[in-house]
Amino acid sequence: MLKIKDLHASVEGKGILKGINLEVGAGEVHAIMGPNGSGKSTLASVIAGNETYEVTAGDIFLDGESIEDFSPEERAHNGVFLSFQYPVEIPGVSVTNFMKTAINESRKAKGIEDMPAKDMLKLIREKSELLEIDRKFLSRSLNEGFSGGEKKRNEIFQMAMLEPKLAILDETDSGLDIDALRIVANGVNKLKSKDNAVVVITHYQRLLEYIVPDFVHVLYNGKIVKSGTKELAMELEEKGYDWIKQEAAV
Amino acid sequence: MAYTEQELKKELETKEYEYGFYTDIESDTFPIGLSEEIVIAISKKKNEPKWMTDWRVEAYRVWEKMKEPEWANVRYQKPDFQAISYYSAPKKADPNKKLEDVDPELLEMYKKLGISIDEQKKLQNVAVDIVVDSVSVATTFKKTLAEKGIIFMPISEAIQEYPELVRKYMGTVVPTTDNFYAALNSAVFTDGSFCYIPKGVRCPMELSTYFRINQAGTGQFERTLVVADEGSYVSYLEGCTAPSRDENQLHAAVVELIAMDDAEIKYSTVQNWFPGNKEGKGGVYNFVTKRAICEKNAKVSWTQVETGSAVTWKYPSCILKGDNSIGEFYSIAVTNNYQQADTGTKMIHLGKNTRSTIISKGISAGKSQNSYRGLVQVSSRADNARNFSQCDSLLMGNECGAHTFPYIEAKNKSAMIEHEATTSKIGEDQIFYCNQRGIDTEKAIALIVNGFSKEVLNKLPMEFAVEAQKLLEISLEGSVG
Amino acid sequence: MDLKDKLVSSFLAFENNIDVHNPVHDVRTEAIKNFETKGFPSKKMEAWKYTSLNSLQKIDFSIFPKKESSLEYKDVKKYFIHQIDTYKIVFIDGVFSSNLSETTHDGVDICLMSSALTKPMYKAVVDVYFNKVASKEESLTTLNTAFSREGAYIYIPKNKVPKKPIEIIHFSTGNDAALMLQPRNLVIAEENSEMQIIERHQSLTSNAVLTNSVTEIFAAKNAIVDYYKVQNDNDSASLIDNTYVDQKDGSHVKVHTFSFGGKLLRNNLNFYQNGERIDSTMKGITIIGEKQHVDHHTLVHHIEPNCESHQDYKGIFAENSTGVFNGKIIVDKIAQKTNAFQQNNNILISDKATINTKPQLEIFADDVKCSHGCTIGQLDEEALFYLQSRGIPKKEARALLMYAFANNVLESVRIPELKVRINKLIANKLGVNLGFDL
Ligand SMILES: Nc1ncnc2c1ncn2[C@@H]1O[C@H](COP(=O)(O)OP(=O)(O)OP(=O)(O)O)[C@@H](O)[C@H]1O
Ligand SMILES: [Mg+2]
Repeated sequence: MLKIKDLHASVEGKGILKGINLEVGAGEVHAIMGPNGSGKSTLASVIAGNETYEVTAGDIFLDGESIEDFSPEERAHNGVFLSFQYPVEIPGVSVTNFMKTAINESRKAKGIEDMPAKDMLKLIREKSELLEIDRKFLSRSLNEGFSGGEKKRNEIFQMAMLEPKLAILDETDSGLDIDALRIVANGVNKLKSKDNAVVVITHYQRLLEYIVPDFVHVLYNGKIVKSGTKELAMELEEKGYDWIKQEAAV
Repeated sequence: MAYTEQELKKELETKEYEYGFYTDIESDTFPIGLSEEIVIAISKKKNEPKWMTDWRVEAYRVWEKMKEPEWANVRYQKPDFQAISYYSAPKKADPNKKLEDVDPELLEMYKKLGISIDEQKKLQNVAVDIVVDSVSVATTFKKTLAEKGIIFMPISEAIQEYPELVRKYMGTVVPTTDNFYAALNSAVFTDGSFCYIPKGVRCPMELSTYFRINQAGTGQFERTLVVADEGSYVSYLEGCTAPSRDENQLHAAVVELIAMDDAEIKYSTVQNWFPGNKEGKGGVYNFVTKRAICEKNAKVSWTQVETGSAVTWKYPSCILKGDNSIGEFYSIAVTNNYQQADTGTKMIHLGKNTRSTIISKGISAGKSQNSYRGLVQVSSRADNARNFSQCDSLLMGNECGAHTFPYIEAKNKSAMIEHEATTSKIGEDQIFYCNQRGIDTEKAIALIVNGFSKEVLNKLPMEFAVEAQKLLEISLEGSVG
Repeated sequence: MDLKDKLVSSFLAFENNIDVHNPVHDVRTEAIKNFETKGFPSKKMEAWKYTSLNSLQKIDFSIFPKKESSLEYKDVKKYFIHQIDTYKIVFIDGVFSSNLSETTHDGVDICLMSSALTKPMYKAVVDVYFNKVASKEESLTTLNTAFSREGAYIYIPKNKVPKKPIEIIHFSTGNDAALMLQPRNLVIAEENSEMQIIERHQSLTSNAVLTNSVTEIFAAKNAIVDYYKVQNDNDSASLIDNTYVDQKDGSHVKVHTFSFGGKLLRNNLNFYQNGERIDSTMKGITIIGEKQHVDHHTLVHHIEPNCESHQDYKGIFAENSTGVFNGKIIVDKIAQKTNAFQQNNNILISDKATINTKPQLEIFADDVKCSHGCTIGQLDEEALFYLQSRGIPKKEARALLMYAFANNVLESVRIPELKVRINKLIANKLGVNLGFDL
């Protein structure tokens, strides 16, 4: 589904991604781990098409098609969803209004009419129940004054609403309390199918106990330096990153 | 049974309507220029009583000695007051003009605003195909109001029918000597609206300019007087979201509101006069004097959405004369291309326990200049006066300007005044976030701007708010590359 | 003759006494012409809307002191920060007093404007800096320029830091019936230099005194200047203080203005940020009563990107006093990433006091963070009650709260002895012994 080939990206002339190769198939869950500053969020942003980062080499393919020239919204219309590590505040715009706009814009791009209000309400009800979100919450300004955990839960709510093909969750677990973590993970698992894929960026093994990955990759210094199965995550939890760094240095 | 705005609207949609119920003045135009003779002639033409003529003449004499104010943060070519015709009859539909002759850009805009074809025609002075029974709409409407004792009619008619009432109140809030444009208006105003709500009456519908959508010829020097007697309530809507391409460059309106003890007036405006083209050519100069006087326990709210005009000079104000009276001002001013707006409010606290709130949202794009100018004054007798002001500016692009000039004058130790102002831009991270959710940049900006303006949009009557929202979107179209 | 005519006609006499071949002569002549055309500002002008100079203009000020006076240090010791050692530039009725002063030429120049304007060795510096940032349009500034002769001249070369703070004091004595003074200061901080200046004007007479002062401050790359203005004159003295600051890359300039005494005080404080990564700070505490009038006019002009400005003015107004705050921030089109903050908080404690405030933002760049806040209010009654319930008498409780209100402005004062002094002045002005160690 997603294929990344020798991806190099830089910001303000500084190279951050230095040759990433990654393949994610439909129905798979991949976990990406790695020390702070190694480039995980950058990779997520580049996949989503953030123009702050300049792609200097390599390419990204979605279902075999290069998305290099796609704008961020076109990528979104093609089923790419990014749960932000730091969700952005938009004062005065309610969660509901935001979702309504997002859904209808995607439909418009596909040449479908706006979703009827009735269906929209039903969808909102269904998904907010799935994530145990209070309806009152949905009338508040997007992310404004949300607690760290509320922001993350809201990201997954949006994911549930948009039903993406490829979801990238950037540290969605950080800031969540134990119950919320379970709810969010549950939500993600429910949305999983043989047709979509999930990439989880995380620092902790804990999330991976709920969302069990098929593959685990370690990103270090802009490169994937090690890949394995879920056992690799456990090994990292136990031993830290030093041994990986040493291996990479060799 | 109360005849609601909703019902009226439905009726208007289905029945179609003509220009309204105004006395048809013969179609002729006065010579260009202004003099005492012209002022007298206008008055005579309108068959006004002597006091009205004298009043106009006095205003003219004052105006003659006044200078056009220059303190506002706007630059424009001063109008030549001797090159304007001060009296012209309402324009009749041009039987030869077709909708196809109208600027397609304008029609496109109408479409986006959801304005019906017939309305479009009226706005463009194109004859409407179906001749409609306008009288019946107006009559139903008038009947409902009459049952309640509410007077709502063109001011020219009111001068004929209720001279005592008009005479008693006109010029008491905005005296003829108030300022250059107010004096000019007093001398030459051609028409406008008069509204009187009797004691204890709640006006059952929003009094709006809907049904007088093409009250042509009165736009230039419009005069509005709203009197809410003790304990009454009225909500008044002025303006139209439809862009009007009036060829009158100068507009100098006067609006006077009188809220007697325990009365409440809500006055909402959507102003969308022609702002000039992308190069800053043309466009309306909008110099408006709007003021309200609040007696004991009275409340006046001004809400405005200003997107039009090349130059706007406008400060809807409240004189909080009575104890416990309340003044509110909610404003959104959008400027794009070469527009200039200098707008804000004055809250004059004279009575005890008076309260005022000011929420102003300025959005500047293109090469425009957007200024907030406000005065909060607390007199020494106004114990426990409270004011809260919030002025936020949003800048889009790097060639526009946002300016804030709040004046605060307090002479009473129990006053509590808070003023906050911020200036910011739309964050790239906000746009990317929206993009990532599938919302393109133009839509994202509209969404963010709407969010920014929400506190004010919420104050508008529901259906007006929806139109205003669309209007904001359209006004800012193409402002970000 | 009104004051304007008197000043204009005195100009010739003034120039007669000094070297007309001096290059400054042309500058002075230009300046008097400007003043002659414009005269004193009137309330009709936006910038003077709330402050009238009419009554001052009716006083028959003597423009040149008739005879020289001298003072003994012991008599005026209390006006100095005597707990610490400082350089001192002292003037009596506009004339330099060598016995009260301590100037230096040891690696730095802390001396007199009169020398700078006349001695050839200073010519190069004077040519570059004198009257370069001061306004050539504003009438009172040009009036001062026309009569510029004496004041402090401070030049700190690259990488130098003077050993101690510098005090500039202008005394006026009772020898002339009414006296008008026009000191002119020039302060130059070269690259990486640093200095601290304390300035005050002190009248020793109950006769009227009007001071129209101009100070030009130049802060070169990475220079640091802390300037403290202590305004605690007696009630017959009025001051118009015009200060102009020119800043270059990475410089930090802070001006603190403490206004407690004086009849009419007008502070025109102007910052021009001619470089990047500049920090400009303006802070003020105003506590006045009776018929005092204090007017703060600030201007920060953000000309280049990536700079900051901070303004924090607190005012407490009692009796018949009037306070004015007018803070203007201009952000030019290219001055992206500007952070400009302004705060003005006021307390009125009398029915007859007035406060007029007018913050002003003029923004032409889009990527900026600008905010201003302004409040007028009273002491928190609940806090007052709380303190009273803890046994603090009402009067002290009020003082304590007002003190707390004004106090945070003092945090940035970097001379501890000065901080103590200002604290005492605040306590004094509030009329109570705070009963705790300042
Ligand atoms: N817009 C930017 N401008 C400058 N440097 C940037 C920018 N974005 C990222 N970087 C730098 O790129 C590197 C990788 O950052 P990134 O956020 O991708 O790390 P990460 O692996 O997600 O770290 P963490 O685990 O802390 O979230 C860091 O050194 C970061 O400082
Ligand atoms: Mg990260």
